[in-house]
Amino acid sequence: MSGSIYKLTEEGRRYLENGLPEANLVNSLKEPMDIEDVKARIENFGIALQWAKKKNWVKLESGKLFLVRKPSQVPEHEALRKISTGRRVDGKMIDLLLKRKLIYIEREDVVKRAQKMIGKEIDNLAPELIKTGMWRKAKIKPYNVKVTGKKIYPGKRQPYKHFLTEVRQRLVELGFREMEGPMIETEFWNFDALYQAQDHPSRDWAQTYTLKHPKYGRLPSRGIVSRVKAAHENGWKTGSTGWGYKWDIKKASQLMPRAHTTASSARTLAKLPEIPGKYFAISRCFRPDVIDATHGVEFNQMEGIVIDKSLTFKEMLGVLKMFAIEIGGAKEFRFYADYYPFTEPSVQLSIKHPQMGWIELAGAGIFRPELTEPLGVKEPVIAWGLGIDRLAMFKLNIDDIRELFSKNLDWLRNQRVLI
Amino acid sequence: MPRYKTKKSNVVVNVDKRLRGIRPFTVCAVVKNLKIDDHSLSQLIQLQEKVSTTFGRNRKEIARGVYDLNRIKPPIKFTTVKPDGIRFIPLEFRRELTPRQILKEHPKGREFGHLLEGLLEYPMFIDSAGEVLSIPPIINSEYTGKVTKETKDVFIECSGFGLRFLTPALNVMVTALSDRGGDIESVKVVYPGRVLETPELEPKKFELDLDYLNRVSGLNLSMERVCRFLNQARYEAKPSGKRIKLLYPAYRQDIMHQRDVIEDVLISYGYNKIEPLIPKLATIGNQKPVEAFSNKVSDIMAGLGLQETLSYILTNKRNLFEKMNIREGNVVEIENIVSANWSVFRTWLLPSLLEFLSRNKHVEYPQRIFEIGDVVNLDNREETKTKDTRKLAVMLTDNSVGYEDISSMLDSLLRGLGIKYTLNRIEHTSFIRGRVAGIFVKGRKMGLVGEINPLVLEKWDLEKPTVGFELDLSALTP
Repeated sequence: MSGSIYKLTEEGRRYLENGLPEANLVNSLKEPMDIEDVKARIENFGIALQWAKKKNWVKLESGKLFLVRKPSQVPEHEALRKISTGRRVDGKMIDLLLKRKLIYIEREDVVKRAQKMIGKEIDNLAPELIKTGMWRKAKIKPYNVKVTGKKIYPGKRQPYKHFLTEVRQRLVELGFREMEGPMIETEFWNFDALYQAQDHPSRDWAQTYTLKHPKYGRLPSRGIVSRVKAAHENGWKTGSTGWGYKWDIKKASQLMPRAHTTASSARTLAKLPEIPGKYFAISRCFRPDVIDATHGVEFNQMEGIVIDKSLTFKEMLGVLKMFAIEIGGAKEFRFYADYYPFTEPSVQLSIKHPQMGWIELAGAGIFRPELTEPLGVKEPVIAWGLGIDRLAMFKLNIDDIRELFSKNLDWLRNQRVLI
Repeated sequence: MPRYKTKKSNVVVNVDKRLRGIRPFTVCAVVKNLKIDDHSLSQLIQLQEKVSTTFGRNRKEIARGVYDLNRIKPPIKFTTVKPDGIRFIPLEFRRELTPRQILKEHPKGREFGHLLEGLLEYPMFIDSAGEVLSIPPIINSEYTGKVTKETKDVFIECSGFGLRFLTPALNVMVTALSDRGGDIESVKVVYPGRVLETPELEPKKFELDLDYLNRVSGLNLSMERVCRFLNQARYEAKPSGKRIKLLYPAYRQDIMHQRDVIEDVLISYGYNKIEPLIPKLATIGNQKPVEAFSNKVSDIMAGLGLQETLSYILTNKRNLFEKMNIREGNVVEIENIVSANWSVFRTWLLPSLLEFLSRNKHVEYPQRIFEIGDVVNLDNREETKTKDTRKLAVMLTDNSVGYEDISSMLDSLLRGLGIKYTLNRIEHTSFIRGRVAGIFVKGRKMGLVGEINPLVLEKWDLEKPTVGFELDLSALTP
């Protein structure tokens, strides 16, 4: 079988690496040893002993193993090495190795297919060439390596959603807990519990959607409802004058699409939060805005609260400072007086963004006592909100807010990954 | 703090109880000895408009009028009139019209007429000689309601639905006129059962507790400094023990609680002079389980080579039902829609993906997309009569794509999440008959998977075979 190609079996490969067992046996035999001791030290002891005796390297006398002669070389090992690198070995040795199952003959069809590929320039390497070792005789055509292949699109996250996920992750790292709240709210949680008077123009300014169906929801326990009512009408026990009008329970039970995330903050307060506590929510909100480059059909708001009895105006500024550094990546920031309907005092944060320049990043305030006390919270509550859409637009390099919800598959496929 | 003196005028306004439900309230004033020139006349008109649009939500809540006092014979009646019950010449016109005609023919009538829609009688100011002053909130009369450079003394009224907004609106107008040299006089407004003397411009009283201020601000301000800051902020502050007695101008309506005063003190102090302290609170951060789960699912879907998409939750019934070839179901529906395209909340997610595909017909295929998002369904057991559910929807489209392609993707997701499931044949007209299955986990239906019905593809103007599945992630969240 002179045309045959020989390959190492798994055992042959192991012996090539670790030495043949009989060789290992004589190498370990420095002095006569008890057979049981040697057995424990040598792998494949049976094979080792059989071949060592046959080659007359050792003898066995009354349970002890004696070294007869140490070979200067082991021909089988040398042959395995040659075969593994595609060199030839004489027929007798081949027969011996085949008998010991240390090599096998490669399939004829594989060899034939490999033979067809040698002696000329080929496009691609083939398994047959590697199996038979004949790649050594093959010539693989050089390519123009400057050319990249066909464009492929990996599976990817939606960039805006991915951005929100990363911001969420950052807030969790900063010790904030995520709040819950439904998309369809009662006016009670969206407005009344936030001390927004039912006839106040700001309910109009907020420009909220109303529902055709369903119309009314259920209100929370009577205790909370009557305290909120009292706060609106006369300030309850909060030291406030209240709004001084007749509060209407029916209006409060009207359902509406959530207009701001603050509704979730009110729910969290009413559920008696952990104190100290830090909370956040990123939620889809709905307002009947006329749609343009800065107003989408829907938008996401990120808001939250910080509660502890130790909090003052200084900590409120501190919360904003933390966002300036940790979310805005800014070194310089400034505070401005501002008006938010639920907080007093209130402040707006502008930061000097490394690339965007001075921008309004966030707002915060201490919730009015007329809001917190009827919900059962005595401690000061710092409320904050962050303009994440704007940051997202900058990160994604877009100037039309509607593109955050892009329906353009090409754009999504080619958008670079957020880093 | 600016102070405004008022004298009593002899003008009386009688308010008719028939105005209930129409426009029940008014507050009035007289300002004398105005020196009106072209400049101040245009300022006056601007001021009126501004009061109406800011306090009055574009005349809906507050209408206001300024009249030449010397052409009016008090007492004035604030009453109602039938649409054809009187004729007078409206401002900028030369002939007499009835209120009904004004609504049809006068530009202001056409602009604001909707505010009187459905009323059997309209509100009207009229003097003792029967001269009409105005039909609020539409138009003044040409004779009494025209202010010119010759006008020296004016009568001012604000009318609407509550004194809470009318009072500051009137105060802003009269104090602005007083700042331009006019003398304010009050008017007696007689309601059935009570009498008001307006405007009320006496400074209002309030008290501030110094300890409370320092507790809220975190500063340690002395009584003396706080009083100085308050005086800078147009208060009159007098220490009284640990408390401060305050007077503030009547036009301010925003002071309900000590907090409102504290903000003014802090603004005077300067926000940027206060050292921010990052709160050192030991809290443990956490996201909602459904968010953590959604995030894992997104990673798996992206790993399967799909592009994530994001769409609006608002949509329309046509997309949800008609274009999906299913019967119309109940949905959360918006009343004051901006566009019919966004009039209901989506109840399932697959239509959003079909809409996405329909916008990308000419983009390279295969197209493999997924979205994770919320849907809203009616649920009477819930406090808000609705329930939000987090869903995953997946869609594959290409020249050749079939049930096995999508079911193997579903299988690899659920195996990856360690969720045991079975697929059972169901009927669903959005899909090809016999090529749609319900996804069941522990006997509960968690979604559906199949080949989209070509009838549905046609409705979305899609031309390639499309397969998809939708899965309830809220229910599967561990």
